[in-house]
Amino acid sequence: MPRTSTVESPGCPPLRALTTDSLGLIKVVEVRGKGGGTPQVVETWGPPDASRSVLATSYADRKKDPVLAVARKNGLIEFLNPLKGDVLTTIKASESGSTDQSASANDLLVGLHFFKSKQEDSSSMLGTLLTCTEKGKVCIRSVGRSDAPSDQSIDSPNEWSVTNGGQVLCSSLDPSENYALFGGKHVELNLWDLNSSKKIWAAKPPRPNNLGISIPTWFTASTFLCKDDHRKIVAGTNQHQVRLYDITSQRRAVISIDFRESPIKAVREDTDGHTVYVGTAIGDLASFDMRTGKMVGCYKGKCCGSIRSIAKHPGLPLIASCGLDSYLRIWDTNKRQLLSAVFLKQHLTSVVIDSHFTAQELEGTKPEEPTSQSEVRDQSDQGGNCDEERSRKSKKKRKDAAGKKEKKMKMHDEEQISGIEDPAEKDWIDELPISKRKNHSKKRGEKQLD
Amino acid sequence: MAKEKKRKAAEEAVDGDDYIEREDKNPKKQKLILASQIKNKEKRSAVYAKLKHEKRVEKRKKIKARDAASKQALELGEEPPEKMVPRTIENTRELDETVCRPDDEELFAGNDADEFSAVLKQQTAPKVLITTCRFNSSRGPAFIKELLSVIPNAQYYKRGTYELKKIVEYAKNKEFTSIIVVHTNRREPDALLLIGLPDGPTAHFRLSNLVLRKDIKNHGNPTSHEPELVLNNFTTRLGHRVGRMIQSLFPQVPNFRGRRVVTFHNQRDFIFFRHHRYVFEVKEKKEGLKDKKSKASQGKTEKKAIARLQECGPRFTLKLVSLQHGTFDTKGGEFEWVHKADMDTSRRRFFI
Repeated sequence: MPRTSTVESPGCPPLRALTTDSLGLIKVVEVRGKGGGTPQVVETWGPPDASRSVLATSYADRKKDPVLAVARKNGLIEFLNPLKGDVLTTIKASESGSTDQSASANDLLVGLHFFKSKQEDSSSMLGTLLTCTEKGKVCIRSVGRSDAPSDQSIDSPNEWSVTNGGQVLCSSLDPSENYALFGGKHVELNLWDLNSSKKIWAAKPPRPNNLGISIPTWFTASTFLCKDDHRKIVAGTNQHQVRLYDITSQRRAVISIDFRESPIKAVREDTDGHTVYVGTAIGDLASFDMRTGKMVGCYKGKCCGSIRSIAKHPGLPLIASCGLDSYLRIWDTNKRQLLSAVFLKQHLTSVVIDSHFTAQELEGTKPEEPTSQSEVRDQSDQGGNCDEERSRKSKKKRKDAAGKKEKKMKMHDEEQISGIEDPAEKDWIDELPISKRKNHSKKRGEKQLD
Repeated sequence: MAKEKKRKAAEEAVDGDDYIEREDKNPKKQKLILASQIKNKEKRSAVYAKLKHEKRVEKRKKIKARDAASKQALELGEEPPEKMVPRTIENTRELDETVCRPDDEELFAGNDADEFSAVLKQQTAPKVLITTCRFNSSRGPAFIKELLSVIPNAQYYKRGTYELKKIVEYAKNKEFTSIIVVHTNRREPDALLLIGLPDGPTAHFRLSNLVLRKDIKNHGNPTSHEPELVLNNFTTRLGHRVGRMIQSLFPQVPNFRGRRVVTFHNQRDFIFFRHHRYVFEVKEKKEGLKDKKSKASQGKTEKKAIARLQECGPRFTLKLVSLQHGTFDTKGGEFEWVHKADMDTSRRRFFI
């Protein structure tokens, strides 16, 4: 019998995620408080404008100088500082070298990848960027900062075309940033070596079945499986198939799994190198073990809209999924349980998780600005931008940023050296099945004394 | 559940609801028997009638006492005792965070940017194409005839053997703003597919409880004036979107002289469609009719304007099954909202 009372979902660990939507807004969702916080929208950046709808995002998840690159429908690519929201620089997508303006006007960006590791001269150059349009034009170019002197020589962009006909729908960059993958409607998966700009591998469609019918090629999502191996690729098709390709063995798919009946819209690999999370157009989220090709399990949580993007937290066993039902959902991967859901009012296009967000940083800022934070949260919950609050908060953040960075660096180094997880996070994982911790304020008090 | 009821009733059997107390051999033990446990029909019905009578007497007493208390309070000039409001499912609906708020800028921006804004801002006039599924029989054609009279600027095309995706293409070429497909199942219209054009969302509704015009008593005949549209209770974001979609079927300049109104009333996720003609009348109500003795009060006559409704047109209910982003493509399209069984966890939760 359906229940008549509400059930509260268990809370999330401290988390910060950025979501982009079809009105061009970038919303920052944070979970504060250890062991059982509810996510709340802390900031909203950008005016709501449908022509600025976000098509693709790329997040350089670095400790120092993180950058969020956002490709908009009106042809602009913006680079933002994800901590404060200010635009570092804006470039046109169809820049340099495009002779045919009318053709490129309808050519929307499909893939955007910001190179995290290549950072030559950080004072004038922001970094290198790989863009891919629907018609298959791929371009690697370096992006200068907006405040850099204009006479600085920028390397000439490297452009080539990935496909003749067809429509590129998905692209992926391998974590070592030497190889890029493209696939789409009537576009077989191609793997390109970025250093030499050559196609090193292309997939072959599966054999026609015993009736002689072959399914047309239509890849809707793709990703590299391991972070240190560019040879294994997982792709999702419009015909509800999840396929594993191995470059070293054959051009056809090694494993092909049929998952329900809707096109696969998002694929994300796990940090352990063999699990993938798959989201479909009807809202089904599931994880597969790619070693065997079996489904590990489905994520049940009332997701009723197409899942557009999945993001995995690098440290914690968490994934965030967002989609057309305007909810950002955070799931626990071990138990496949919904931790919490936030309603974000617009059709969401992508989500990224900021992994360098810790609650301890917050505790430093909490006593200094308790009022402005709560005000910002209240107002941004109502959906409006409040410039004053934001600037006040960002000013304060800038003041503490210098001191805080040192603290963060120290803590991060400690974590890396010791090799164990933060004790606070361990507590959260242990306590999750038992109960929601309500007296976490005590702990916070203790920490402040320290 | 019945066992619980019995146990609970046994605990509070003081008022003697359905139980009769029977003195046993052992005066300490008192067995409480439900009236329905008596096997003899005559005896059972007698006992039950007695219980019912007792209950009715109790109820009348309570009402009398309540009325007397409120009258007394009014006379004394105090506030009358609080009126008891019955608890309904709509009263106790679960708090929904997706409810549209009036101060939401994003909502207005989203409205400007969505697929219906061209029609709703009167930049294009709505042009509706009505068609059916491939096998259309019995009530289907009658329903479509009535739909054509309800929606102005609607045209009916026979389905033939065209694929729906092709129909969408042809309609786009001919500059239609939406397509309605009436799907028939077992000789009865069963589902309604509302496709917005050029790339608007596709709403799939389940149609039930259809009553045609000829089956309505004292029905009226609709005129061809543009109707007024009443959309009730589309509170959540999803409801707002569906409401705008329905609004985009009708022209935005209603002809008030035509006195014709079309209502889509949403309650508990069911959308009720009604089509009325109304007329305003001025009625003279005589005051003080209760006091027959005094003739002085007969002079007072209050004029009240009331609206009388005459129902015309079909009557049906719709339930949203899925809302798909983009034109009709169930296999390859993305869904914005689809009803799933594990969403029905609470009896107090509704989505539109």
